[in-house]
Amino acid sequence: MTDTSTLTNFAPLVLDLMVVFTALLVLATDILLPAGRKKGLGQLTAVALAGILGLSFVVDTSGLAFSGAYEGSAWTLFFKRLFLGVGALVALGGTEHVDQRYPGRQGELWLLLLSTLLGMMLLPGARNLILFVVAFELMGLPLVLMAAWPKTEDADGPGRKAPEAALKLYVVSAASTAITGMGMALLFGASGSLALADLAGAPQTPLLWLGLFTVIAGLSFKVGAVPFHQWVPDTYEGAPTPVVGFLSVAPKAAGLAAFALILLEAFGSAQARWLPVMLFLTVITLVVGNALAVPQNDAKRLLAYSGIAQIGYMLIAVVIGTEAGQAVLLFYLAGYAVTNLGAFLVIEAVTGDAPDADLGRFAGLYQRAPGLAFALLIFLLSLAGIPFVVGFWAKLYVFMAAYEAGLGWLVGLGAALSILALFYYLRLAKAVYLRSVDDPQPVAAGGGLKLAIWLCLAGTIGFGAWPAPVVDAARAAAAAFGG
Amino acid sequence: MIDVWAPALVFMALSLAMGVGMVVAARVLAVKSKDTLPTRTVTYESGEEAKGTAWIRFHPRYYVVALVFVLFDVEAVFLLPWTLNVKGLGWFAIAEMVVFLGVLLLGWGYALRKGALRWQ
Repeated sequence: MTDTSTLTNFAPLVLDLMVVFTALLVLATDILLPAGRKKGLGQLTAVALAGILGLSFVVDTSGLAFSGAYEGSAWTLFFKRLFLGVGALVALGGTEHVDQRYPGRQGELWLLLLSTLLGMMLLPGARNLILFVVAFELMGLPLVLMAAWPKTEDADGPGRKAPEAALKLYVVSAASTAITGMGMALLFGASGSLALADLAGAPQTPLLWLGLFTVIAGLSFKVGAVPFHQWVPDTYEGAPTPVVGFLSVAPKAAGLAAFALILLEAFGSAQARWLPVMLFLTVITLVVGNALAVPQNDAKRLLAYSGIAQIGYMLIAVVIGTEAGQAVLLFYLAGYAVTNLGAFLVIEAVTGDAPDADLGRFAGLYQRAPGLAFALLIFLLSLAGIPFVVGFWAKLYVFMAAYEAGLGWLVGLGAALSILALFYYLRLAKAVYLRSVDDPQPVAAGGGLKLAIWLCLAGTIGFGAWPAPVVDAARAAAAAFGG
Repeated sequence: MIDVWAPALVFMALSLAMGVGMVVAARVLAVKSKDTLPTRTVTYESGEEAKGTAWIRFHPRYYVVALVFVLFDVEAVFLLPWTLNVKGLGWFAIAEMVVFLGVLLLGWGYALRKGALRWQ
């Protein structure tokens, strides 16, 4: 720990520093731009994030930094690219929403987006409990503010549900931070070390296991695993839809990276200890998420519960603990990111100014906007796991990896619940295609939003038709994990 | 295991004893006055007569001013040790401090531009 040779090695953090620079640039530009002309800030954010994403294919970010507290590898790079891509798509798709609803406070929202992105990008590389907590918090706090963004002095205005959304997210974030922090204090007390690599080698005391299970509970809050999921639907319902799209994808991916770090990187040798607890969490997350999605009549709440169920499938990939499981997790995350974000962006396009996202608002969408209706159908089919879009491969690979790891019963349960999931996804699709309206009003969606939806659609279909490049990248990244 | 945690237990016991001890000692040692003048129970406000309760509403502007103050407060905390060591640390330290001050200056500019210091 006293090795200072990597103290000033910033090479693994080049992409993260570029995000910091972008945040400062957005802030400076916000100061200079006159009121009413701030729309460019969202476009600036989108272009900068896309540029950094492109840069990630050129620079070498592997190696240790901060005396071994941070480690850049192909695994962390995969996550960084995922976050940068999602961030760019959200900035692209959300610019018009933000410009129309909050013209005077756009810069701050993009600044918060970049801050939370920075926390997410740092998290997978953390090899030290302190950096882990700092990255975790940097990720969590801006999300609360972003969820509260529509709040205005008008108590009955379109942002009337935002305070509830933000408060629930805030309380859960604070509780999960407190619980995670407590668990980490116990881990430190039991092992005497802050380095993740030293934790499993500590004396096997009850204190160590109490610390581990406390951390698991704290992380479960963050990813919204049952029974720590109650905040998810209310927060999704009240927060601005582009923010929800981001919230449903990026923090979940970061939370699963955190799970992988704690369970596999730190406590991989103690799998027998945590496996029963994690299997229990996975099974009830799958069952409750899928079951509660069925009766939902609001598209955002429906996708909230479906997201909880999707977390269950991703947890399968984590808990099996094999390298194949890691590769599957990364592939699943990449596919889920474009699919779920795309679905939320379509909801944004359709329900734009409406106070809710009731399924009735999607009636006759195929007449009003055939392109959007088709995109939404593809996203829903991908979430349900229908061939040959990306969600099909993701679920198939998860089941294959779980079967190889000897969890055949879990595969059976997951497959049965997938059929149930098809039912509630098709309820939304039914409203889109089978219900007609007498006077179809065209959907007014901005160019940026449409472009973001098309990019998500291209990813969903493209990764599904030709999954090999992503699979190869995920395999290479998984091989670098835990090395 | 107990030998590893003994210092922590002793520390906790001492902290508890210190707190309880002070309260008990004050009870035992305090001079008890016989008279019951009303002025004895009044809050001492630097010679001013205390008016109202402490539960009043403060203007939210104070909160913004406090935030801007923290900006410079933290700056000073980092600047002072830096000035003592900058000679030995060389150009890297100077560059880092310039970046740090640049970020703070940007924050200051933001606060000014958004009217954080206008007292409306």
